[in-house]
Amino acid sequence: MSTGGVVAETPGGVGSKGLKVGALGLVSTTVIGVASTAPGYSLAASLGLVAAAVGLQSPSIMIVAFLPMLFIAAAYYYLNRADPDCGTTFTWVTRAMGPTPGWLAGWGILMTDLVVMPSLAQIAGKYTFLLFGADGLANSTFWVTVLGLIWLGVMVWICVVGIELSARTQVVLLGTELVTLILFSIVALVRVYAGNPLGAVTPSLSWLNPFNIGSSAALATGVLTAVFIYWGWDTAVTVNEEAKDATRTPGVAAVLSTLILVGIYLIVTVAAQAFHGPEFLTKHSDDVLGALGTDVLGSPLDKLLIIAVLSSAAASTQTTILPAARSALSMAVHRAAPRKFAQIDPRYLTPAFATIAFGVLSGVWYVGLSLISTNVLADSILALGFGIAFYYALTGFACVVYYRRHLFSSIRNFLLVGVAPLLGGIGLTWAFFKSVFVYSNPANSSTGDTAWLKFIHFDFTVGGFHFHADGLGPPLVIGVGLLLLGIPLMLLWRVGRPEFFKRPLEVADTLDGPAPPLTPAAHGGPDHGG
Amino acid sequence: MAGDIVLGYDGSEGSHAALRVAVTVARAFDADLVIAFGYEVSPVGGETADYRARVEAFGNGVVAQGVAAAAELDPDLRVEGLVVDDRPVEALLDVVAARDARMIVVGGNESGPLMGAVLGAVPHKLLHRSTVPVLVVPASGD
Repeated sequence: MSTGGVVAETPGGVGSKGLKVGALGLVSTTVIGVASTAPGYSLAASLGLVAAAVGLQSPSIMIVAFLPMLFIAAAYYYLNRADPDCGTTFTWVTRAMGPTPGWLAGWGILMTDLVVMPSLAQIAGKYTFLLFGADGLANSTFWVTVLGLIWLGVMVWICVVGIELSARTQVVLLGTELVTLILFSIVALVRVYAGNPLGAVTPSLSWLNPFNIGSSAALATGVLTAVFIYWGWDTAVTVNEEAKDATRTPGVAAVLSTLILVGIYLIVTVAAQAFHGPEFLTKHSDDVLGALGTDVLGSPLDKLLIIAVLSSAAASTQTTILPAARSALSMAVHRAAPRKFAQIDPRYLTPAFATIAFGVLSGVWYVGLSLISTNVLADSILALGFGIAFYYALTGFACVVYYRRHLFSSIRNFLLVGVAPLLGGIGLTWAFFKSVFVYSNPANSSTGDTAWLKFIHFDFTVGGFHFHADGLGPPLVIGVGLLLLGIPLMLLWRVGRPEFFKRPLEVADTLDGPAPPLTPAAHGGPDHGG
Repeated sequence: MAGDIVLGYDGSEGSHAALRVAVTVARAFDADLVIAFGYEVSPVGGETADYRARVEAFGNGVVAQGVAAAAELDPDLRVEGLVVDDRPVEALLDVVAARDARMIVVGGNESGPLMGAVLGAVPHKLLHRSTVPVLVVPASGD
């Protein structure tokens, strides 16, 4: 008797095909959401830039920027029900709006992940030096870049061999990060009220009022910068398939992580700008928490803040590399990218090729940017907003289009599946285009005087709007340029491998059920990885 | 069936050596052979569905290979392949419990002690946790 060659379905009790049910509890789901957002790192990287855009109104931006994120999260939640796919936005937009926008959305995700890497590496390098008191090295672009590259290499290696921290370690790390940020804020505020640190401003309720922001341009750039600090939060919504109680846990986790994030961002922003005033934040935009930490907490407690930022940057690096590699894998599986990106390493069972390719590209991009831009960190954070806004907005629109037959079945559906994603999409689209105009003027970028692409030169007025350019700001060139680069690449891929682009459009049959596979038999076939 | 021999198989050279020994052991006990492959996809970073399907497809391929190799060594042996969505150690222990198996056979560690400590050495963990005998076959063993 021989049953050779037959691979049996796994029997009951041993686990089954597909997603593991009951893997994640409420705490783990919340922790994944908050840790993916990386509050410590996000604040360290963007606080100064937000302050530069809106001055004392930074706390209000923390609230305003969250609204489009909240609205887009509704789109994530519903689209994830139909297709909890690796490529998320890539597959959803492909289904709802067609392969061309879908491909560009996938490209947008990859480019956004790429653009954030220099900032992550730089923060990691800089804060490592600060941790050991090597302030001189921390101010040397060369040594920060070297250490940042080493950091990048280690993180890529960790992702390739698939090391992961246990859930408990993550809870401890995140807990330390949050407690440290709260401690920092409380001490800063107490000292503002007790004594008067240099340049201190007493907090005022008017800081929370977004209508005090001077101009719509400041609002748009503030939002586009702050959107970055909530980036990653959607993970809390999309791990729902793996949650213990899939109908309740993800919702509660999303609300919890929201409260934690908005709360922590508000209190830290208020405390940070109260202590030395917004100008201090703007001046130290590439190490806000490092610079403030010493003044607020004093030695050696300030190291705690630096460790918090470092562990947060590490978590964020991992939650950037992993989805980037998995998005590339997803595109390759569905024949929208070279097959090699779908390969699974036989030993580590990770998408090793895609991971290493992304790591190498990040390294090259980081070094290149360090060489040509005077302020890598600021330029990449400002540029990042364009990418995030682009693919989040597409996701919002895709949700409305995909579920268009179910929008009017109930008021709840109309609001959550229709109005919210649409508003989120429109809000981000507005911030995107408004910021294009703002950053077309190099004087508005943090690099200041350096204009890129100086051959772009025009000056005219149409219908009362004045268009003027004398070269473009680096954030615009990086952010939008990388997105536009996707168009020729897509056309090239389309000529060589047209099959992905022949897909028909889909519309949702139900609001709850899973959608049919995007590419039937995409995972089968003789060349199963390796 | 009680008395099965469970083989942890990942397609590596070490697990291939273990396969040869497992076939011999199964024949000696007149037992069935279960070839199991366990995997886990980390939810960190999200976007797991395509990735998971890909790893599962890879596991199916590896297990099919193992089943074919075992059938070639002994055409009369009853061999079954299993792909389990869980960490390798948990997967093997679950299969042992579900089948009331006699013994686990795995390949020896190919990684050095340091990498073993970082990545988690399957044989090491099995030796500590298994309720049935564990047979660890060195990669060069035949």
